[in-house]
Amino acid sequence: MLSKWKLLAVMLLLVAGLLVAPALAEDDLMGDFTVSHYFGGFGGEFIDGIVDDFIAANPGLMHAASPVDHEQFKTSILVQLAGGNPPDTFSYWAGARIQFIVDDGFLMPIDDIWDANDMGSQFPQAVIDTAATYDMHKYAVPLTLHWVGMFYNTALFEQVGAMVPTTWDELVDVAEKFKMAGIPAFSLGSINRWPGQFWFDMILLRTAGNDYRNQLMNGEAAYTDPEVVRAFGLWKELVDAGYFYPDANAYDWDEAANFVANGEAAMTLMGTWIGGLYAGNDMVAGEDFDYFSFPTIDEDTPRASLGPIDTFVVSADAANADAAKAFLNYLTNPDVQWAFAEGAGNLAPSLLVDTSNYNDVVARIAAEIAADPVFAFNYDLATPPPVAEVGLNSFSEFMANPGDYEAMLDRVQADAQAEFDGMG
Amino acid sequence: MLRRHPWILPASFLLLPLLVYFTFVILPTLNSLYYSFTDWVGYGTDYQFIGLANFEKIFSDRLFSNAIRNTAIWLGLAMTVPTLLGLALALGLQGKRTINTVYKSLFYLPICLSPVIIGIIWVWLYSPKLGIVNLFLRGLGLDQLATAWLANPNTALFAVFIAWAWQQTGLNMVIFLAGLTSVPAPLVEAAKVDGANTWQTLRKVIIPMLRPSTVVVLALTAINSLKSFEIIWVMTRGGPFNKSDTLAVFMYSESFRKFKMGYGSSAAVILFAMTLIIIFLYFRQTARADELYD
Repeated sequence: MLSKWKLLAVMLLLVAGLLVAPALAEDDLMGDFTVSHYFGGFGGEFIDGIVDDFIAANPGLMHAASPVDHEQFKTSILVQLAGGNPPDTFSYWAGARIQFIVDDGFLMPIDDIWDANDMGSQFPQAVIDTAATYDMHKYAVPLTLHWVGMFYNTALFEQVGAMVPTTWDELVDVAEKFKMAGIPAFSLGSINRWPGQFWFDMILLRTAGNDYRNQLMNGEAAYTDPEVVRAFGLWKELVDAGYFYPDANAYDWDEAANFVANGEAAMTLMGTWIGGLYAGNDMVAGEDFDYFSFPTIDEDTPRASLGPIDTFVVSADAANADAAKAFLNYLTNPDVQWAFAEGAGNLAPSLLVDTSNYNDVVARIAAEIAADPVFAFNYDLATPPPVAEVGLNSFSEFMANPGDYEAMLDRVQADAQAEFDGMG
Repeated sequence: MLRRHPWILPASFLLLPLLVYFTFVILPTLNSLYYSFTDWVGYGTDYQFIGLANFEKIFSDRLFSNAIRNTAIWLGLAMTVPTLLGLALALGLQGKRTINTVYKSLFYLPICLSPVIIGIIWVWLYSPKLGIVNLFLRGLGLDQLATAWLANPNTALFAVFIAWAWQQTGLNMVIFLAGLTSVPAPLVEAAKVDGANTWQTLRKVIIPMLRPSTVVVLALTAINSLKSFEIIWVMTRGGPFNKSDTLAVFMYSESFRKFKMGYGSSAAVILFAMTLIIIFLYFRQTARADELYD
């Protein structure tokens, strides 16, 4: 059953599609057109609506869509690409994952449509540099932009008299207040490992900064460096103090988010997709829940935003590359970008989207992103997949055995180095 | 032609299944063997032949050692726990009383479920907050024993094993029940007449007569143990931090999560060799058992 907000968003999407589609009709697009994506529970219906509108505007196309489970997609798309029968276009995570398949020649550059449609003026330069450009060519059109921050239960903050923290010390003070009230301050659900990465990412970004983090992600710095040891040390302070909801590795991210929603924990470090989950629970952004940016730790470290960007790309072996490129161009339309953002709860990467459409929380997050000089991808999108496997396991291990983290980092460094060496 | 070469007709019937078997079993196995000597990432056509490098590396791989250790623990438990439970159930439920039939059906039921379904059911049972296991323990006042069974590195492997054993026990029970029907009743009667008590009858008569069934149970258990993947993947994905990784999970993670298909194939080859040894031992034992009864 669709919630009223989802229903409203679907209707908006259809209206937007009806308004936009005729203008974008490509009379000469013909033949089969295949789209594959990993948007399941959040966003699936909206991307399908966008594809349907595109097809409606191009009646010469025969469409085959194939949504795939988010985790399964990571493997299945590579098999399809290698097998030489990939979809014409598909969703993909910007950053190391796109670079991974660009290196293997699986993607088609889209410099032609990028220049012809002046896409460079439609997205922030930081997004173009990090999400769309690989090896000096344009390969991807950004569709979603998510941001990682601390989402909290406003009623609980009022209950214990906590103010939004802006520094590490204030964060610890707030956590202590919750502990005194018998409420775990932080909820983390890392059964699937990836939510733990945000803690490491944010602490490292707020201490060592983005340049050092990039070195670590590329294998030019070591997990045994003092910067990494310090980041884990700070994280350990919070774990040792008992500020986390017990058994992080037993829960998924949405269970952890619901602990906050239900008042069983005060806050969770998560991406803006949490807004979609909370909207589904009829929680009002800015009233029932709110957010704050991860506090400053070292004042002289430049601020950085963190999150994933979803894009659409064109397969190098696309059977219908013309249709795929036309679809990517269609995705840059601000009405389409807004319709998806509204439905899936993310920010629209396009600068042409009217930000007055956003609710108060999302609008403030958009301002934070604009103010931060850096937009960094989260750990598993910033470092190559084999290394990410090593790191993601270490975050889970850390939550279970924080006391052994220095010995653990020795192992992580050895394993990560072996993976970097194996990649040549 | 057929009269001169009578083997042609049956051979032609075998041709199609053999072709299917070759295509879907033999060929992929040979492919795995080939890729285990390469650095193939699992997609694309660009790879190098690296000889035995994968095998040299795998034996110094910490995660492989961890997977071998977990597989050995799993195998050791699998050979004893569901085997003894299956035997006990078979001994308790032999006979044709209605209640026995009902219980036999109940214990056999898990075999009809897919390992994925079993995994999902047990994930719920083990849920730290609302799972029946912890609710039961708390109900008994044993709060200190309640834990996040699948997230606790000390319990994850054993918790998954219990779910797997729950299914395996039913299969073992059925095999032992079939074996018990072939134990000659006069032999048991004769033992009793000679003054043997229940334990002596069991140890000296029934269990030796169940040797063929025991060989089948142990071989199937060992093979099922080595290939058990789905239930572990559904319940823990080898976690937390590789604590419930077995060889099959290690093979999958290396191949499909880290995109090191060549390396993962070397694990597959080792797993295949281990399975082959067990199958060889199984056939040797069944041959001996056949000789015993011939």
